[in-house]
Amino acid sequence: MQTLEVISVNLWQMAVSLANLVLLFLIIKKFLYKPVKKMLESRQSSIDSEYSAAAEAKEQALSSKVAYEEKLSKAKEEADEVIKSAVNTANERESEIIAQAKKKADGIIRQAQTDAALELKKAEDSIKKEIVEVSSLLTEKMLQREVSLEDHQQFIDSFIEGIGDENDAD
Amino acid sequence: MSKTGLKFKILDAVYLAIMILPIVFGIVLQVLTKPVAEGINITGARVYFTIPMPIQNFPITESQVNSLLVLIVILGFCLYITHGMTQHISLKRQHLAELIIEKVDGLVKENMGEYFKGFSPFIIAILALSAFSSLITLFGLYPPTSDINIVGGWAVLVFFLITYYKMKCGPVQYLKGLAEPVPLLAPINLISEFATPVSMAFRHYGNVLSGTVISVLLGSALAGLSSMVLGSLPGFLADIPLFQVGIPAVLSIYFDVFSGCLQAFIFAMLTMMYVSGGFPAEEYEKRKARKKIKNK
Repeated sequence: MQTLEVISVNLWQMAVSLANLVLLFLIIKKFLYKPVKKMLESRQSSIDSEYSAAAEAKEQALSSKVAYEEKLSKAKEEADEVIKSAVNTANERESEIIAQAKKKADGIIRQAQTDAALELKKAEDSIKKEIVEVSSLLTEKMLQREVSLEDHQQFIDSFIEGIGDENDAD
Repeated sequence: MSKTGLKFKILDAVYLAIMILPIVFGIVLQVLTKPVAEGINITGARVYFTIPMPIQNFPITESQVNSLLVLIVILGFCLYITHGMTQHISLKRQHLAELIIEKVDGLVKENMGEYFKGFSPFIIAILALSAFSSLITLFGLYPPTSDINIVGGWAVLVFFLITYYKMKCGPVQYLKGLAEPVPLLAPINLISEFATPVSMAFRHYGNVLSGTVISVLLGSALAGLSSMVLGSLPGFLADIPLFQVGIPAVLSIYFDVFSGCLQAFIFAMLTMMYVSGGFPAEEYEKRKARKKIKNK
């Protein structure tokens, strides 16, 4: 079989080898470089999205934590307020009730006093009447004659009045 | 697609076959056609047949066939390592694919800058073609890289790229660049322009070929040494290849594996250096800015 010289330049061979290199470049680009790059990019993007999702979740958690704390403090404040207002109203109610009770007691006492005064007056009146009746009876018996009750009444009244006056004067 | 399905396994097998069968084919072809060598002979690639063409006949040689085989092997390799690729790594080979892409991307970015990041696939292609072409000697096949025409073709392509990027700012700028620093040096600059691809081709081809030559020479020297030491012994003892055992293997590791990979790396590095070095980045930026202003 024929062989080439060790150094033999052949343009066609060079052209074919050049074309081979170009062909291999295309093969590598199509079957190795592009698929791997695409895969790497998609991996990168998925990692990025994972990271951003994680960051978002963290942010959300932080914000909800802040909101929760705010709510908690608000609730505490509200509770404090409620207790305070309850104490206030209780105090008010207490003083009110006491005042009312005092008022009622005063009323009762006054009523009692007036009742007592009325009773006294009634008693006085009835005693007067009785005295008049008794004294008229007595005088009737003593005088053996009818005494007009009305006259007598007048007389006794003036008499008792006089006694009362004398008593008052004492 | 499921990782364990029958379809996946069949595709895997097909890709592996694309990787392995060309090499088997090359070995069979070599065994069928290679004549038994007699003594020391260092020749170029064997010619299978010749196609008549204008200017020069086009011989289909071993190096042409083998570089085509290498192309198919690399195609199979690419298909195999990217097969079953997912976001969540489920196969070990995906690490290799990612490693290759990331390393070469980093290399290109470091040596060529941001503007040339589209060069990564081309650099991978150069590295793979050159390295695989040299490593094919491990299967006993003729390495295409020890043929000046193959490496020369690549160098010519690189030369085109260098010149294309040098002319990005217009041919006038390119010609002006040739006349620097002194117009008197223009011829020398012109020569150095054309010397670049020649030196690249000769460096790569010479390294691989010299490895082969040294291996052959050393092999015959060791054979001579063995026969000198054991030649006086009677019978078959004289034919024991005492020194041919082991020593050539060590040399093969250096010349075929190390040198092949190193030359591939050097060729890729030089490509990156020359292409990005010839590109007048500052001038280009200026022009771009000016154009933008004009368009506004």
